[in-house]
Amino acid sequence: MKVVVTGVGLWTRGMTSLADFAAARRDEFGGIGAASFEAPKAAAIPTRERRRAGLAINLCVEVAHQACDCAGIDKSSIPSVFVSAMGDTAITDYMCRKLAGADKLLSPTKFHNSVHNAPACYWAISANNRAPNTFVGGFLESFGAGFFEASSQAIWNGAPTLLVGYDMATEPPLADVAAIAETLAVALVIAPAHRGRPPQELSAMAAEVRLVAEPALPPRPHAQVLAQLTAANPIGGALALIEQCVSGDTHTLRFPASPRAHVELRFEAMP
Amino acid sequence: MTAFVNAYTLTSALGSGVEAMRKTLRGGQSALTDAPWPGSDVPCFLGRVDVPADLALPPAHRSRNNALVELALRQDAFAETVGDVRSGLSAERVGLVMGTSTSSIDRTEQAYCELDAEGRFAPAFRQSAVHNPHAPAHFAAERLGIAGPCITVSAACASGAKAFATAKRWLDQGLVDGVVVGAADSLCLSVIYGFHALQLVAPEPCRPFAADRQGISLGEAAGFALMTREHAEGALRLLGAGESCDAYHMSSADPEGVGARLAIEGALADATLDMADIDYVNLHGTGTRANDDIEGGICGSLIAGSTTLASGTKGWTGHALGAAGMVEAILCLDALATGLVPGTCNTVAVDAPFDLLLDSIERPLQAALSNSFGFGGSNCALVFAQ
Repeated sequence: MKVVVTGVGLWTRGMTSLADFAAARRDEFGGIGAASFEAPKAAAIPTRERRRAGLAINLCVEVAHQACDCAGIDKSSIPSVFVSAMGDTAITDYMCRKLAGADKLLSPTKFHNSVHNAPACYWAISANNRAPNTFVGGFLESFGAGFFEASSQAIWNGAPTLLVGYDMATEPPLADVAAIAETLAVALVIAPAHRGRPPQELSAMAAEVRLVAEPALPPRPHAQVLAQLTAANPIGGALALIEQCVSGDTHTLRFPASPRAHVELRFEAMP
Repeated sequence: MTAFVNAYTLTSALGSGVEAMRKTLRGGQSALTDAPWPGSDVPCFLGRVDVPADLALPPAHRSRNNALVELALRQDAFAETVGDVRSGLSAERVGLVMGTSTSSIDRTEQAYCELDAEGRFAPAFRQSAVHNPHAPAHFAAERLGIAGPCITVSAACASGAKAFATAKRWLDQGLVDGVVVGAADSLCLSVIYGFHALQLVAPEPCRPFAADRQGISLGEAAGFALMTREHAEGALRLLGAGESCDAYHMSSADPEGVGARLAIEGALADATLDMADIDYVNLHGTGTRANDDIEGGICGSLIAGSTTLASGTKGWTGHALGAAGMVEAILCLDALATGLVPGTCNTVAVDAPFDLLLDSIERPLQAALSNSFGFGGSNCALVFAQ
C-alpha cells in the first residue's frame, strides 16, 4: 500500500498545531519543556453538542479539523478511523466509581459518550460528514494498527482517509494498568500516493506500508524532548512520523501493530 | 469475490454452539429471563450466557468477557479449525478483527469495587491487557496464534457488523489470505445502568416491532467466523458491506434514516445486488419506539409487498450490543446454510409497514441482509449469500 500524508493536526502540551511543531523543532523542542497543558475549545462542534463534549471529544474534533484544513480537503466526505489505547479514561473512571457506590444512577450523557466511537460521532456532526467512521483499538500498539487500517481504507476507496489518535494522561487507579504521562491527540490525512500531494509545510514523500509478522519497538526520535513525549503516550509514535513528514528524512519507520507484528513505512521522495 | 465464510460459531442466550442455537430457535421459546443480575436493581429481562467459572484463563487475561470469548472458541471445534487453516498460510497473512463495545469493562467495574486502602487496583486486577477497549482481540489473538493484522472495532452496537466490513476489505485487497472475525460483549452494570439512565430498558422481554413495545432487553454473546480468499466446499459468501454515519446525534437516530439507508444501499451496491435479490432481512429491531419506527420506514419502502422475509431476533437473544452484529450475521449465515429462518420472538400485534415474520419457518435462501445501527449514528449493513 503506497500512501502519502497530506495533512497533520496536533494537540499536546506546548504544541497545539503543526506550525507549533515546526517552530518547536528549530530549538530541538527545548521550548516545550516547561509548557503546561491547555484543553482545546473545539469551536467547530455545534453549541447544542458542545456542552455535552468532554476532553477526549474536544481533542479529537480539534485535531481532525486541523488536519483536513492542512490538507485542504472536503471535510464532509472523508471517511475516518479513530484510535486510542485506553479510550476516554475520565468517563471510564466516572462510570466505574459510580457503579462501585450505593447510588448507581448514571448520567445519560456520560453513558452515551462512553462508547469509543463518541469522538468520531462529534467529528461527523461538526463536519456534517456521513461517510463511514470507526474506532480501532490496539492497546499500546493502537497507532500502528490504526495506521494499517486507515491506509487500507484509503487504498480501497482510492481517496483520503482521516486517522485520528488520542490518549489522555492517566491517574490512579487506571494509571496502575496504563501509565500515560502526557495527553496527546494527532490527526493525519492519509491519501493513496497517486491521489495526494502534501502541502508546502510537509515533505513530498510517499510511504510503502506493509505489515511484518515480527515484533518491533516504537520509534525514538533524535531530539530528547520529542523522544520523551513519544514515549509518554501510546500514540506518541505519531510524533516520529510527523517529524519525518516535516524534515523530509526518509529513514524507514516501524510501528508496533500488535505484540507479534509491526507496520513498516518505507519512504521515498515523490517525483 | 474473495470473502468466503468457512466456519462460524455462536455462544449466546440461545445456547453454546450452533446446534444449541438451532434447537432453541426450533423450540420457539425466548431465552430472556428476569433472574436478578448481581448488584443491579433495574427491573428487566436479560439474555444471558452461563459462563463456567473453570475455563482456566491465563491470569493476565482473566475477565468475564474473555471467559465468554474462550467459551465461544471451544464450540463447534472453531479454535481447531482456525489452527488447521492457519497452519497452511503464512503467519503475516492471517488476521483478526474483533468487534466489541463493552470489552472487559466487567473486570474494571470489579476492580473499582475492590480498590485497596490507597484507592489503587488490588494486585489481582493489575492486568494491563484487560482494562482497555482491545482486551478481547488481544486475548483471542494470543489464544489462536494470530500474527497478522489484529484490531478491535468498537463502534457501539454496530461493532460486530463493522468487524465483517473491515475483514472483507482486507480479503478483497489481498492484504490477508485468511481472517478470523469475532465479537464479544458481556452483561455488566455499565450497560444495565447506562440504558436504564436513557430510559430504554423494557420491564418485559423485548418485543421488536410490536405495536405496544416498551424498549430493549439487554443480552450478551460471543461469536466467530473464519473467512478466507480461497473457496472451500460448502462455504458461504460475504458479498457486500455498507457503512455510514448519521452525523445527527450521539444517541438518537436520525428520524429521516438517511445514514441507515446509505449503509443498506452501500451493502447492496458492494454485492452488486438489488433489494429484490434479498430473500431475508435480519432487522436491527431493538424494540425501542424510535429505532423500530425509523428502520420500519426504511424497510417498508424497500420490501413492502415483496416476498422478502424480515424478522427481528432480539426477542430471542436480547440486544448483545457490540456483539449484536455478529449474532445476527450468524443467524443469517445459518439460515442460508440450513433454511431455518428465525421469526420475531415475543411480538404479536405488529407495527411495521411490511410483513414481519413472526414464527420461524423453513425456506431455502439465496441471499440475506443484516442491519446494525449503533450509538454515535454508526450504521452497517451486510449481505451474505450462497
